[in-house]
Amino acid sequence: MIERHNFFIREFPAGTPKELQLFSIIAQSFFQPFSLVDNLLVILTALTAGSGLGFNRAMLFLADGDKLRGEFWLGPASVSEADSIWRVLSTPGMGYLEIIEHNRSLLTSDADSLTKRVKKISYAIHQEDALIPASATSSQEIILVKDARNEPLVDSRFQEIIDVDEFLCIPLLAQKEVLGEIVLDNAITRQPIQSRDIELASICGLMAGNYVYTSKLQKRVVDMKRVAAIGEMAMFVTHQLRNPLVMIGGFADQLLDPKTTKKKRKRNLLIIRNEIRRLERILLRLARFLRIDIKQMIPVNIQEMFKLVVNALKPRADRAKVTITTEVENGLSTILCDPIHMGEALRNVTDNALDALPDGGEIQLSAYREGEGWAVISVRDTGKGIPEAIKDRIFETLVSTKEQGMGLGLAYVKKVVDACGGRIEVESKEGKGTTFKLHLKAGERGT
Amino acid sequence: MKKKLLVVEDEKNLCVLYKEELTEEGYNVTTVMDADTALALIKKKKFDLVITDIRMPVKNGIDLITQIMALRKDIPIIINTAYQSYKHDFMTWAADAYIVKSASLEELKSKIKELVG
Repeated sequence: MIERHNFFIREFPAGTPKELQLFSIIAQSFFQPFSLVDNLLVILTALTAGSGLGFNRAMLFLADGDKLRGEFWLGPASVSEADSIWRVLSTPGMGYLEIIEHNRSLLTSDADSLTKRVKKISYAIHQEDALIPASATSSQEIILVKDARNEPLVDSRFQEIIDVDEFLCIPLLAQKEVLGEIVLDNAITRQPIQSRDIELASICGLMAGNYVYTSKLQKRVVDMKRVAAIGEMAMFVTHQLRNPLVMIGGFADQLLDPKTTKKKRKRNLLIIRNEIRRLERILLRLARFLRIDIKQMIPVNIQEMFKLVVNALKPRADRAKVTITTEVENGLSTILCDPIHMGEALRNVTDNALDALPDGGEIQLSAYREGEGWAVISVRDTGKGIPEAIKDRIFETLVSTKEQGMGLGLAYVKKVVDACGGRIEVESKEGKGTTFKLHLKAGERGT
Repeated sequence: MKKKLLVVEDEKNLCVLYKEELTEEGYNVTTVMDADTALALIKKKKFDLVITDIRMPVKNGIDLITQIMALRKDIPIIINTAYQSYKHDFMTWAADAYIVKSASLEELKSKIKELVG
């Protein structure tokens, strides 16, 4: 007999020890597509949630070069605020997602005076005469400060801000690297910090340190991949430019020869002009590809977007005897995206569909709802299909089935869809046709 | 007797340019735009030199070289490509010269002279 269990626990049975709940919440948060700060927020939330451990407030510093900078400060600003926060946090069924949501809203609200205060502080680390809190990071030790007001090792500016007698400094470490620091206190309840609290907080510190470290490595990997991709792109462009350059150079040399006839001169000039235009097209495509910068995500009317795409491609479709039809499911009207880039991306996919139909056929643009809050934009053609051999690679940069294709079109589309928080997939049968499906967030909920 | 050159190049205007320039140099130039047509011609006729691109639709220049070798035809081959990187490809060693396309045709012309006179 076997039993299967879910990794992700949303509700804990009564009697589950607090520590276990705390670690479970933190571990689960690492699997969420949260940002670095969001995940640290989870850890700090867990440490300060009223029903969690003993701490009332948690302050986060992150290392930035040789500076330790205040990032945020979580917790109630006063006793009355503490009551209301803890009431929310102890609501039955309150999962970690809701708690983070709650705390995130606190961080971004104007009323959050704690974070505003801590954002202003930064300390030099790796200095021998560093004062608390920076000295905990420098010495890589957990420091519990008691009677802080009379402690000369505490920075007086910091003491003014934190304004408590007792607090705990936990450096965030990983692989001998210092990544930040958490400062915890009980400003509201004034309860003394117990040794058990220190132990648990130190484990949280190790987890947070490791998490920051992993995120940094991940970012480094992404950066390296980007550099590699740029290198590959540069190589590719060099090659793309070479044929036009040979022709411009070669035909220009002929122009310089006095024996060249008038007719030939004119032909050469036309070729040169065309090749220069080709160079310009290459640069334009490249520039567009490199400059995907999603600035705004707004609800965009699907019907309108379809109309623009169809209008742009109608002359070409008419010439190729291709009919383009559109269909939007009743009740679905908008998707959340950047209108300019998404319009261009959709035009690109439809343009590809036209390429696949040199002898006429049909293209259908449709939009329908999918699950809660999502929509699918689908582009279906009755064309030749994508060769099996490159089907898995069509979204990669520099992969193309077309002779003068640069392999930027679909890579661009994927980049745009990704940047809008969606995903793209393709179904294709050689000789039967291809369907691209863009899964995107619907602009309205439940409609 | 004019030396016979076969140029394999998938860009039409490059074919025109090579044909004119190399004819001007005193060669008898045939241009084709794909490797299969080139192979069919090589089987039928005698050429003194083949100049081929590498990246071409359907069959690439390296496959073409392999098949020319399989025909046991002793024809010198010049690879003329936009790509520097194929230089490390094992099969391109079989060619007699490797030229990276440039806006000046001088290198190509002097290499041809060197190989066929």
